[in-house]
Amino acid sequence: MSEPQAKSLPGEIRTSMYRVVIRATIDQVWSELIRTDRPMPFFFNGQYDTPGLGEGAAFAMRTPDGKHTLVMGKVIEFEPPHRYAHTFRFTTSDDPVSIVRYVLKEVEGGVEFTLINEHSAADEVSKSEKQMAQGAKFICENLKALVETGKATMGGRMMLFMFSLMAPMTPKAALSSNWPLERAPDLSEIPAATEEA
Amino acid sequence: MMSPDTMDAVFQALASTTRREMLDIVRNEPGCSVGAVASRFDVSRIAVMRHLTVLEEAGLIISDKRGRTRHLYMNAVPIQMIHDRWTSEYSALWSGRMLDIKYLAEQRRARDGDASEADEIAHTKGEPG
Repeated sequence: MSEPQAKSLPGEIRTSMYRVVIRATIDQVWSELIRTDRPMPFFFNGQYDTPGLGEGAAFAMRTPDGKHTLVMGKVIEFEPPHRYAHTFRFTTSDDPVSIVRYVLKEVEGGVEFTLINEHSAADEVSKSEKQMAQGAKFICENLKALVETGKATMGGRMMLFMFSLMAPMTPKAALSSNWPLERAPDLSEIPAATEEA
Repeated sequence: MMSPDTMDAVFQALASTTRREMLDIVRNEPGCSVGAVASRFDVSRIAVMRHLTVLEEAGLIISDKRGRTRHLYMNAVPIQMIHDRWTSEYSALWSGRMLDIKYLAEQRRARDGDASEADEIAHTKGEPG
């Protein structure tokens, strides 16, 4: 179905983009996006563990009880309320580090929210890349639902419920004790990464 | 979740074989240029641009201008939102299973079709099938 394709343009980064218009103010969208004081339903109920989001800050995205860690990353761009970007690696995978960018732009009727995934363009599409493609759609849809209605979509809530059922099956590798903030992946771990925005 | 106007725009954009083919190309080659899309079609560049504008206004294509080139990306979110309107996690699971069976059976039919021809050739040579 709509899985990422291996073919990429000359250059060593493969990019995919996801966009949705959210009927809200840019500050409302931004504050949900970077909220660290509670789990984010649009981010699979992950909660930021970080000394404070800002350029260069390391973070872990942990489960609400803090026991498991889903994602590690480091902020590479932080310009409220328009641009936020960070490195990204699943704790359960050895796949190369990716970059996730969020771009917010005021448009008629709301805010255009764009999510950009950048991957080192290997011939094979990694499992992480496929998961991130699925995840990106989930994030766009559910961030929109959360900001506009105060809760995630029906499908999103169902998925979060299934997640909570599967929690006991989370691999040991994802235990938070294995993932101190020092292990957040650095931009230098992406060989092809450029500073281009 | 999606406004009626937005959903109309998506369906209208998809109601064209040419535009669906353009979407295939952009999905398969994320970041491709307008010229790369135009080169696959036997119509004027202006006609191609018009189709791409329809896709872009429906939110199905994101065009990212860097320097003098426009890079095109497919945006799957509108299609996902339409999907979600009529499917629950539960129905998606089962309809997904059914489609898997359909694709596998059709693949197998195509393969067995070839295989039975190969069998015939093998038999005429007196080899076991």
